[in-house]
Amino acid sequence: MKASDARVCVLRIEGTNCEEESFQCFKRLGAKPEKVHLKQLTGTDVSSDERRSLSDYQLLVLPGGFSAGDYVRAGAIFAARLRSRLSEDLKEFVRVGKPVLGICNGFQILVETGLLPAMSGIMADVPEAVLGTNDSARFECRPTLLKKVNRGNCVFSTRIPDDKISLIPSAHAEGKLMFPVDRAKYVIKELEDNDQVVFKYVDPDGSIAGYPWCPNGSTENIAGICNREGNVFGMMPHPERVFFRFTHPDWTRSPDGDGDGRAVFESALDYVSKKM
Amino acid sequence: MSKATLYAPQDVPFELREINLAEASDDDLADISNESGTGLSVDEMRIIKEYFGRKGRNPTDVELQSIGQAWSEHCCYKSSKVFLREYVFGINNRHVMDRGDAGVMEFDRDHAYALRVESHNHPSAVEPYGGAATGIGGILRDVLCMGAQPIALVDPLFFGPLDYPFAKLPEGIKHPKYLLGGVVAGIRDYGNRVGVPTISGGVWFDDSYVGNCLVNVGCIGIAEKDDIRRNAVKGPGDVLVLVGGRTGRDGIHGVTFASAVLTEESETESRGAVQLGDPIMKEPVMHAVLEANERKLVNGMKDLGGGGLSCVVGEIALAGGCGADVDLTKVPLKEEGLAPWEIWVSESQERMMLSVSSRNLDKVLHIFKLWDVPATPIGRIVRDKRVRLHYKDVKVFDLELEFLTAGPEYCRPCAASTARRTRKERPPKARGNYNDVLLRLLSDQNICNRDWVIRQYDHEVRANTILKPLQGKIGHWSHGDAAVLKPVEESFRGLAVATASNPFAVGVDPYRGGKTCVDEVCRNLAAVGARPHSLTDCLNFGNPEKPDRLWQFREAVRGIGEVAKDLNLPIPSGNVSFYNESPTGSVLPTPTIVGCGIVRDIRKCVTSDFKREGDPLLLVGETRPEMGASAYYRKTRGYSSKVPDVDMRALKAGIDIVVDGVERGAIVACHDISDGGIAVALAEMCIGGDIGAKAALDLLGRLRSDAKLFAESNSRWLVEVKKGKERQLRRDRATKVTKIGHVGGDRLDISSGRRLVDVSVDRIARKFNEPLWRMVG
Repeated sequence: MKASDARVCVLRIEGTNCEEESFQCFKRLGAKPEKVHLKQLTGTDVSSDERRSLSDYQLLVLPGGFSAGDYVRAGAIFAARLRSRLSEDLKEFVRVGKPVLGICNGFQILVETGLLPAMSGIMADVPEAVLGTNDSARFECRPTLLKKVNRGNCVFSTRIPDDKISLIPSAHAEGKLMFPVDRAKYVIKELEDNDQVVFKYVDPDGSIAGYPWCPNGSTENIAGICNREGNVFGMMPHPERVFFRFTHPDWTRSPDGDGDGRAVFESALDYVSKKM
Repeated sequence: MSKATLYAPQDVPFELREINLAEASDDDLADISNESGTGLSVDEMRIIKEYFGRKGRNPTDVELQSIGQAWSEHCCYKSSKVFLREYVFGINNRHVMDRGDAGVMEFDRDHAYALRVESHNHPSAVEPYGGAATGIGGILRDVLCMGAQPIALVDPLFFGPLDYPFAKLPEGIKHPKYLLGGVVAGIRDYGNRVGVPTISGGVWFDDSYVGNCLVNVGCIGIAEKDDIRRNAVKGPGDVLVLVGGRTGRDGIHGVTFASAVLTEESETESRGAVQLGDPIMKEPVMHAVLEANERKLVNGMKDLGGGGLSCVVGEIALAGGCGADVDLTKVPLKEEGLAPWEIWVSESQERMMLSVSSRNLDKVLHIFKLWDVPATPIGRIVRDKRVRLHYKDVKVFDLELEFLTAGPEYCRPCAASTARRTRKERPPKARGNYNDVLLRLLSDQNICNRDWVIRQYDHEVRANTILKPLQGKIGHWSHGDAAVLKPVEESFRGLAVATASNPFAVGVDPYRGGKTCVDEVCRNLAAVGARPHSLTDCLNFGNPEKPDRLWQFREAVRGIGEVAKDLNLPIPSGNVSFYNESPTGSVLPTPTIVGCGIVRDIRKCVTSDFKREGDPLLLVGETRPEMGASAYYRKTRGYSSKVPDVDMRALKAGIDIVVDGVERGAIVACHDISDGGIAVALAEMCIGGDIGAKAALDLLGRLRSDAKLFAESNSRWLVEVKKGKERQLRRDRATKVTKIGHVGGDRLDISSGRRLVDVSVDRIARKFNEPLWRMVG
């Protein structure tokens, strides 16, 4: 399938607020993105021409934002709605190898639905991890540097050169990835063995560093992970905000080239065009 | 007269009273005004009494309340209009498209942008979190109802000093630290949730704000020209659809609360005037409203702000030359048992009024249903210019709109206070070396790094923020002069947004201070490479019934208007907030100006941080011994009444030189010179770039060294020019361009004959970065 035929479902509910820029990233690369309200997939309050089915799409995106306000644990309400009405569709989507991308709130939603890290199977019955409140206890919007540590499993990072340090900004209050205390060590080892860790927060030298380079206190500085098959991927930083160079925070110092986030979307479309 | 004869309860199955104005004495009129909480003066009550006398009947409580809202200072600008008309309303050019709830300006051939700033001062003083959050909510609706997608928020904030002693805090007043924390959290939690980036603003501190903090909120929006709507109905037959939140008892008498001074009892008495915000109602409201509007299903819109339904229905109908019949029974409520007058004046949040042709009604309701947003037809537009209200089949209100909306207009007495002429000039003692003064200025609350505030706001959601509020090398940042947005996907044209206010200058000399504010906002815009295009202002002053306060207002507006007019900069929207007084006195007269500028190509923009070792450093503009209200004099307890003036020819020439230099790629860093003068501006550029600079100020003329370092003369910029491109900078006889040094090293070194400042960049960065974190954590 050509990338230009790839239909991308940019899924939203009230409070999802990064859908426009996520939509634009795929559109700029020639794919066919569509902003779809969850009710269009579940068939609630919609007319027949508004009705959509998840299986019509090759790629699913859960954009950033504050879905349903995130007044309880971030992403929990969107995840509950997904699980109650679309569990089977989602599992099927992932099972056939279609890529799923969760950015920021989308990552939180994927963890809450059990699609990440999905240590065994496609979708865990209860969340296996949590994106907890930042160590600073507040929302922070700041530039973050990410090192790709994935060895090739994740379909969203194939276009990023090994060891490249990418500038992809963060903006969240709950981005500290944590695992059950008694199993944390085991889970981390498992993630690494399975090549499920994709990005880590680093300093300008590429070394693991503390705050503010790691904006939230995340376990092992992890910024993004994928499932075992590599087709479901979530990250806290926002690649859609640095599609172009001129939205990098320091772009006036080196204005040439693409934005560092662009490769994430290109990788996904590469995968779609090769595998489907 | 006894209470029983003044108020006649009506025989209906809900609360409704007729008010016996016909037989009321002047004392009774005052009592009625007080008891109803409308804040109308006896003179105004007499006009109402005469009106109903001619009609041969008494008003209902619904009618009197409605008039009270419409005639409040907040709604009808009765004390300010006369001056605004004289000095600012007339500035017009072909780019102005509308002056509605927000101003609308042309952006490019196919697009328009909307802009507005307003105050949410009193609610924020009583309940900082909710007050600030609903301030954001309200300003978003002002932009939304023009048919524009909100793309940026702006927040100028004013508090008492963070280290203000608790022991000195007057009864009923909250500590500045608590207020700052609450206000920032309110803006953060609302602005971030609705997905609109907060890209500009400012935080000012002064003793005068202890009793009455100021929270101004601004919003910018973008739309295709075709999608711009007026705040007006199309004609008879239009259906009025109330969309968004439900109506409750929160926010009753918000406008009258805003139109009186704060007292010790404000906390207990007026807590109910503060509304409750719900960003997760607002977010889908924006989607649904914009979708309905883009599909051309909406004839006109208006937001429900001050005065709630009572203001919106009359105004939207009259703007289309019509009236309206409304059934209050249909209004969705938060709780049972509201009296009709409460429903009519409640300022509950997240509500908008849409005027829709009946053939489009079902389509509109369907869009709102998909987003789970309540949308309810509550009335119909009629030909004659009056509003009639029914509640449970009883007519409770019937007023001619021309009377209701023709609020009084005053030309109140206005005179300078005599005290101001007697203060003596007192320059601070000259020193051998100014390292210490510079470091103290950099850590001053009014100058130090605001990253603690700025990083809590998402300033790049929507992914269109080209220049962010914090600028510099990764890991280092200082303040930028203006933020720049790229609002249209297929174009590189940019919209720059900057905020300026100088209450200190306005306090010493309101006329020159007003001019200074406009000069500063233009400097900020030019510094990133934008041509100033329009302004919106929020004018925060004391009690206009006091002649000296009103004089300050008039003089400031005169100054603002004069500079804006000379630059042909329209002010298509704005807001006046009077009565910013508490038992501790009036706030400093505080006009805040938000400016928008056009960037021809965002890929040319420059930031404020120094870039490269060896680049020449130039000063654009002339430095004069105008030290009045300067940060330096305030810090060293000097006094001068000589506030910087604006030389219009120099300002225009300076803007041209800077913008042209940026567009040609000759200028690679630029920073306007404001608080703390050249010395502080240089320091900030070093901090962002993590590199030093060497500057010699000998060529600035015969001035005291401290004036060279710290004077805040207007129309000046510091520019770093790419090596070898100095000659590309335009020259103009109207202003000066002086080479003062170069970028490089790891120290800031400033001399004039002798060394005045010599400090390491690390040290100035620490002094600049730490204070706010230390004070509020």
